[in-house]
Amino acid sequence: MYDSHILTEHDCRNMWEHGKKYGYGVDITINYYRGLPLSCVEEIALEVDGEPIDPADMILRISGKEFPYTDILQDDFPTDFYWPFGEYLRVIVLKDGGIPQGRHHVKLTLKTRRSYTPTMVAVCEKDLTFA
Amino acid sequence: MAYKDIKFAVSLYSYQDNYYFKRLDFEGAIAAAAGSGAEGIEVLGDTMIPEWPYISDEFADRFVGLQYRYGVKGVCFEHWSDRAMWKNKQLTDDEMFERGVMYIKAAKKLGIPMVKLLHEEHIGPKAIAGYKLTDYGIIERLLPVAADLGVTLALEVHTHDGVGADYQQKYIELAERTNLPFLGLAPDFSTFSYCMSTADIVDYTSRGAQKEILEFFRSKQRGAYFANVPFVYEAVSAEIEKMRPNDVTKQAIQFSMHMIGRKPPFDKLFKDLKDLASKLVYVHAKFYDLDENDCPDDMDYPRIFKALKEGGYKGYVASEFEGNRRMNMAGWVDEIEYVRRHQAYMRSLL
Repeated sequence: MYDSHILTEHDCRNMWEHGKKYGYGVDITINYYRGLPLSCVEEIALEVDGEPIDPADMILRISGKEFPYTDILQDDFPTDFYWPFGEYLRVIVLKDGGIPQGRHHVKLTLKTRRSYTPTMVAVCEKDLTFA
Repeated sequence: MAYKDIKFAVSLYSYQDNYYFKRLDFEGAIAAAAGSGAEGIEVLGDTMIPEWPYISDEFADRFVGLQYRYGVKGVCFEHWSDRAMWKNKQLTDDEMFERGVMYIKAAKKLGIPMVKLLHEEHIGPKAIAGYKLTDYGIIERLLPVAADLGVTLALEVHTHDGVGADYQQKYIELAERTNLPFLGLAPDFSTFSYCMSTADIVDYTSRGAQKEILEFFRSKQRGAYFANVPFVYEAVSAEIEKMRPNDVTKQAIQFSMHMIGRKPPFDKLFKDLKDLASKLVYVHAKFYDLDENDCPDDMDYPRIFKALKEGGYKGYVASEFEGNRRMNMAGWVDEIEYVRRHQAYMRSLL
């Protein structure tokens, strides 16, 4: 559910440190009617301009905390870090030099597990302007 | 004379799209429920408590203030059975029990006297392979914990078999046997859905289904219900085939037959509801779309309320609007207005 809304235009931009771009970020929202523990995220797959992003290059930022994406997929990840309903989960892609400012085509595949039916899969594709 | 023992509540689930799209926050959703005339609210920690699974003293204090300000009471807190917590590993029964305790304590902290618990048989004796929910053994352990804290466990029955199904009775017996009256069944009105809702037609049509075929199918389902005969798909399949249904249309019909085609006779469902009404602890008035008289257009609310009243139900009936989930893919539906109409309509049935 919310398939066409999971990829947002909120705070879509390059990430900077010490005057240099170290990557870029997009904010996504959940494909379910409630929040879920991050451990219930089965997959976040991003394609930017047709190129799949390496999961090892993705960092998640939520409620003031940061996690390497691959950490949340581990079978012992804590169950009390939630992705609140309707809240932005920031996906930061690490890339020296960032992304060229302007329009890019982004495809998000989001898979989440819920308690009583099979994994939900939502796909959303959009042209986003990166600041 | 109006029936005095039923009070009305709103599940804040009903305002989920307003919350998701940041039109209403938690307080706004409470204000909407209060404005609809409801006395009670059902709170979903997983959905509207930003710090969930924790609840700070500040949040609990604020909740006390919000209930006072808006003149409503928290009457039910929602529980989920998230067992498939990791990709290759699931929670053990002991860990599921601990999560159950977590929800009960959360309700207690907020001063809410009931937890609506997602139990193993909520949609039937065997729900879906590989997704074992909170089952009898765990509930047997949770009951004394809940009783100790004065919290009642309401087992919501979504199943087509209704509250009278054999496999639900063991829970009523458990409460009676242990002399801990803090456990009971809570019917969801989806049990009484007799046809495809227009909300489903909007949903499937937006995905390419043929509206005229689904409307024809729905009219046949309604005809069967009001003639008090079972709806048999084979009786209309030749006519539908002639209309050349596409795959999405077929999928919609298949879904409706899956949800509705397996029900026992409606006479039995209503008799069971009446017979068990005095033992029910909570009622979920699910609805998807309303007709021109504001009755949900796939359920016989007058007959449902007649059974509840004649059976002596005492407690809350909570609006749960689920049409948002079906119709919002096609365009915005006004949850606030739907709930307001639904509450007014239900009050007229007392």
